Amino acid sequence: MDRREFIGITAAGLGAVALGLEACRSPHSIAPSDWVNVGVIGVGGRGQHMMRMLLRVPGVRITGLCDIYEPRFAEGRKVTGEPTAIYTEHRKLLEARNIDAVLVATPLGLHAEHVIAALDSGRPVYGEKSMGRTVEDCNRIRDAVRRTGKIFQVGLQYHYAPWYREALRRIAAGRIGKVTHIYACWHRNHSWRRPVPRGQEAQLERLLNWRLYREWSGGLLAELGSHQINFANAVFGAPPESAIASGGIDYWKDGREIPDNMQVIFRYPGGQTLEASYITTNRLDGAQERIFGTGGSVVLTHTDATYFKEPSDPYSAVPPELAIQRKLVTGPTYRAEQPYHGKGESPIGGEAEDADLLACREFIDCIRNRRRPEADENMGWSEGVTVALGNRALEEGRRIAFSDYVGTAVSTSQQPSDGNTRS
Amino acid sequence: MQTDEPFRNGAGNRSVSRSHRRGTFPSPRGADTPVIADAETLSVRSHRAMGTEFAVYLDAPDNVQAQACFDTVFDEIGRLELTFSRFLPASELSRLNRHAGQGPAVTDPEVFQLLSFALDVSEKTGGAFDITVGQLTRAWGFAERQGKIPDGRELAAAREHVGWRNVELDAKWRTVFFARPELELDLGAIAKGYAVDRAIEVLRSAGVSALIDAGSSSIAATGQTFASGWKVSVASPMDRGVTICEVELGARALSTSGVSEQSFVQGGRRYSHLIDPRDPAPGTYETARQALQVTVLAPSSVLADALATAMLVLGHEHGSAALAHFTDCSALWIYSDADGILCMDHHWPGHFIA
Repeated sequence: MDRREFIGITAAGLGAVALGLEACRSPHSIAPSDWVNVGVIGVGGRGQHMMRMLLRVPGVRITGLCDIYEPRFAEGRKVTGEPTAIYTEHRKLLEARNIDAVLVATPLGLHAEHVIAALDSGRPVYGEKSMGRTVEDCNRIRDAVRRTGKIFQVGLQYHYAPWYREALRRIAAGRIGKVTHIYACWHRNHSWRRPVPRGQEAQLERLLNWRLYREWSGGLLAELGSHQINFANAVFGAPPESAIASGGIDYWKDGREIPDNMQVIFRYPGGQTLEASYITTNRLDGAQERIFGTGGSVVLTHTDATYFKEPSDPYSAVPPELAIQRKLVTGPTYRAEQPYHGKGESPIGGEAEDADLLACREFIDCIRNRRRPEADENMGWSEGVTVALGNRALEEGRRIAFSDYVGTAVSTSQQPSDGNTRS
Repeated sequence: MQTDEPFRNGAGNRSVSRSHRRGTFPSPRGADTPVIADAETLSVRSHRAMGTEFAVYLDAPDNVQAQACFDTVFDEIGRLELTFSRFLPASELSRLNRHAGQGPAVTDPEVFQLLSFALDVSEKTGGAFDITVGQLTRAWGFAERQGKIPDGRELAAAREHVGWRNVELDAKWRTVFFARPELELDLGAIAKGYAVDRAIEVLRSAGVSALIDAGSSSIAATGQTFASGWKVSVASPMDRGVTICEVELGARALSTSGVSEQSFVQGGRRYSHLIDPRDPAPGTYETARQALQVTVLAPSSVLADALATAMLVLGHEHGSAALAHFTDCSALWIYSDADGILCMDHHWPGHFIA
């Protein structure tokens, strides 16, 4: 059966992530039928970045570029290094015969339209995160993947980062006890604004700075928080059951409609909490996830993971003999828990690689070997609805019960089995 | 601050001065300092990346646009650091260094083109510029900033793993292959210049006049505000307080290399980190024939960077001959001699002061 006709994705189970051998594969040895021609819908900054990553995977060519902003074509062709075919209408790109797979990197509010059209054209799709801007968009994308049976990978690249996967594995194995709380932040000192060519502000502001406007954007929670939400959903095995949020446009008062800071507290069905914070005025804490278990903690960043053991007796600062002597001692307040300033353990060695490159390699490998990606429509849906409902909590200024919008929570446990990560 | 005073007072040895403007101008010191615009809508902000300080000067219509430009430029420089750093294990360059010795490794066109460019400069400079010099630099301790004289065996072993001709690029497949497996690519001499070029491109497409100064050694501008009317002072390598000459950038980029960046003295001889890849021992700079500093003007910052390194290695006589292979490039060599310093040049446009 030709790869292009393949439609049946079986529940292949979790695991077989593209290994290092794929990275070293010589392009000479790749059969012409295994070359993957990718069409790109959305050739902005993220699209161009992912094109570079795809072009680092042996046996990949970019054969179509679609955008509505004309300068993107020259930029995109510079990335591909050749006069790649250009389209101003995504349906025209999807009609082209020399496209085997599609990368969708358009503004969030357009994901559903473009991903579903690409799936309906019979191609495997790599859809950037967040999966969809609204719950309805996420439902539609998930249904389209199921209906077409096509490969769909959502752009949650950190799921393929070895240190993230090892953290999931260790957490699942109980190495830090019962995880009760995750604190995630993405703090930057950054306007989040792109320059608009002089004299064209009126026409181009909303196009180039779409992230700042409600029509297309899911704000900081979608653009930054989705990776962290995905990790929490994997640890807790389900999307949250409720969200409360705070935030506003409090510093960058430049006409934007999207909050420049946001804090969300998600409550999970098992009684766990994800506390997520996004600010654009200070970068001391950067981007990190702090996973707190009863027996230890993990701190994840974009490049590594660090493990901390809990002190052996975290419950009492009072000597136990006082209870035996049936007396109390009065004095100045005893020293409360101090933050731990010591070094943790960072045991994950092996080859560090760019998470985007790992995700692209996995996508191509799934196409060639007819595998279901781990970051599939279920993982994307779980992340996408969590983002959408977190944003709704802020917009409506109230606690959002997920069951009012998504029905019964779906298990999203994505913890990899042993032997699936690179060492 | 008075208008004619230099306001770039970093550790480098060049300063950029405004020759005809009035008003105060903030110091760019400090990473990501807030945007401060003066009355003429000039803004400056600096950002640490690639082991140096990138200062960006903008003539933007307003603070909002200036902020957007700064953030976008620094994002782009960050992307390039993540691509070309040999210190970051997840960078594309590190990946190639790990895999290209085992077999042809595919990379993306941007990386491939920069490597092609580097090999082209190597060829045209007779190997004076060489991105494979890493093992030699390490043998001399300069990679860890602890210069030392290696023993003969160490040096011979390092030389086994050096040589730009051992990098095989295949344009058809976009692959990189090391004919000697232990070869190591180091783009430290040109990555900064390439980042300046890309940053200038971002700002040009935004229609903003700008000047970028990477660690005071790689400088380029776009737009009328900075291309003319602003001067770059080339300071003496013997005394940074002394200006040798001043140039206007125009449409060209400027780059300076010097032995003072990293060197050590042993046995009365000074050894510099700018190792001649063709020579088993690095140059010594005690003789009048060895340049202390070279400044190059070229159509792009990446070329200016590459040539500044090559011209320092080649010296004036051979360097001038090599420059015949390049269009619209100028160079200024500064040597020490018995009377102080001696300047030699190739089509240098600047006005000499000292």
